[in-house]
Amino acid sequence: MSEIYDIGYRHYDGPRLGRAHSFRALAVHSLRGIFGIGRPARSKIVPFALVAIMLMPAVVSIALMALIKERGIAYSAYAVIMQAVVAIFLASQSPTVVAPDLRHRVLPLYLSRPVSVADYVAAKVAAMTVAVFALVAVPLTLMYVGEVVVDLPGDPATGEYAGSILMALALALLLAAFGLALASFTPRRGLGVASVMVVYLLSSASVPMVYGTLYSTGNEAAASWAWLLNPFWLVDSVQSWLFGTPPHSIEGAAYPSGPASLAVLVLLIAAGLGALALRYRKAAAR
Amino acid sequence: MHILATEGLTKRFPTVTAVDQLTVTVGPGVTGLVGANGAGKSTLIKILLGLLPPSGGTARVLDLDVTSQGAGIRRLVGYMPEHECLPPDVSATELVVHLAQMSGLPRTAARERAADVLRHVGLAEERYRPIGGYSTGMKQRVKLAQALVHDPKVVFLDEPTNGLDPRGRDEMLALVRRIGTEFGISVVVTSHLLGELERICDHVVVIDAGRLLRSSAIGEFTQSTQTVTVEVDEGMEALAARLSETGHTVSPQGRLLVVQVRGPETYDAVRDAAADLDLCLIRLEQGRHRIEDVFREEVAHV
Repeated sequence: MSEIYDIGYRHYDGPRLGRAHSFRALAVHSLRGIFGIGRPARSKIVPFALVAIMLMPAVVSIALMALIKERGIAYSAYAVIMQAVVAIFLASQSPTVVAPDLRHRVLPLYLSRPVSVADYVAAKVAAMTVAVFALVAVPLTLMYVGEVVVDLPGDPATGEYAGSILMALALALLLAAFGLALASFTPRRGLGVASVMVVYLLSSASVPMVYGTLYSTGNEAAASWAWLLNPFWLVDSVQSWLFGTPPHSIEGAAYPSGPASLAVLVLLIAAGLGALALRYRKAAAR
Repeated sequence: MHILATEGLTKRFPTVTAVDQLTVTVGPGVTGLVGANGAGKSTLIKILLGLLPPSGGTARVLDLDVTSQGAGIRRLVGYMPEHECLPPDVSATELVVHLAQMSGLPRTAARERAADVLRHVGLAEERYRPIGGYSTGMKQRVKLAQALVHDPKVVFLDEPTNGLDPRGRDEMLALVRRIGTEFGISVVVTSHLLGELERICDHVVVIDAGRLLRSSAIGEFTQSTQTVTVEVDEGMEALAARLSETGHTVSPQGRLLVVQVRGPETYDAVRDAAADLDLCLIRLEQGRHRIEDVFREEVAHV
């Protein structure tokens, strides 16, 4: 047992900052948790391995541009092509943001401070959004820097790059809201990982099923709506409408109307945030 | 000046009334809040933190209203929950620095305060290791540190001695006493053992089934039932006989002897008797004044 050292107690009379400060502190703390910074080494393996995998196509693309003066992967297609990696990242890291505080009942330590439940949830969503955004935006930016440095013939695709960055943010918000909502319904980490993964797999698998069924019954216009069942294609369809990029659906099949896709995107983000708010209103009352 | 005051405070849950028409005031210093499990202690603390809206009545902490100025109260108070509430994968330092920031301290101040407070509660080098590997005693210290890190005016400590061994219990109680005296932070500490709180409190509030049973300065609690528990290896009967001869009231309880204390001479008598009879004295412990005793007294007074 350690001894209690007898040095006098000092009072604190420095500044006490407001909500913005605690919001930022919580978001940064959660973000560190997502990437395992300040945690044991094993917490860093999964997130950083996934980041490394995400960077690989960008590196290959830069090599292609440098060696044979040809573009590799398109900026607008990056998230759709790498969707499995992004989904695994979301599934494996969402529970680290919400589950420990629920499972180990840390929430009362926050709520007994000048932090409201809404602030808490918002900071968690912000942290996860930044993490997913960084996962997608860092390789895009690397590739863009590569393109500028290599100096391909013709103008650099600045517009497409900027558009894909903006859509990466929308995608990150959608995934963060849903990932955290799903993960927060179970305090157990493993179940959280599984539930996020299952929902993603269902959303992916249902696309060809619904599409095929409607297409074979001659309902081609209705079939195109099937793409919106998967979050990555949903965001791609909004991108295609806003920035005129080609659809990155399988075999370049056409998406339904852009405004409707945007409406679905906004509704889904609202639904995810709403589910989180309900979940935490219940958790806070305990 | 009162640090907290309630007026007809009531909290009803669908199936149970946890706090019932409670009117009590608490001044600065160390105040014990005593009640059996389920007496409404934790519910009362949650109301005082502004986390549970009362069903009726009013409560003020540091002259701030719990329903309308909850955030203001939470800026000025610290709270140590009864249950386990620590994430296992971060270190004590990381957690306490983080929670200091959540209370509004800038990062550098949070680091300094966390280091100070962790040293005060007696966590040395181990504070850099993940909390998951800590003993119960160390975890209780971390819980206490996070309640003090933002230098609150009042701390609410919910059962701080829960799960501790006798030595850890003594150290925790000494620490609580220091917070109230040396640190100059008012303390409201709950326990279901009155005997524990008698040693450290200036004032004791006893509640039962959400109702106020008694609120008085510690000196007013009757000392007449004080006892000392004696345990000897063998020869208990002989010791009991010897003590009875010298006019002490002795009652055997299993392997233990409970002796009524009449004054310092009782301890001498026990010592001399054990020495004369050449007995192996294992334990000599001041009797814990249990909450049940107060209830019995209160009922007797009615």
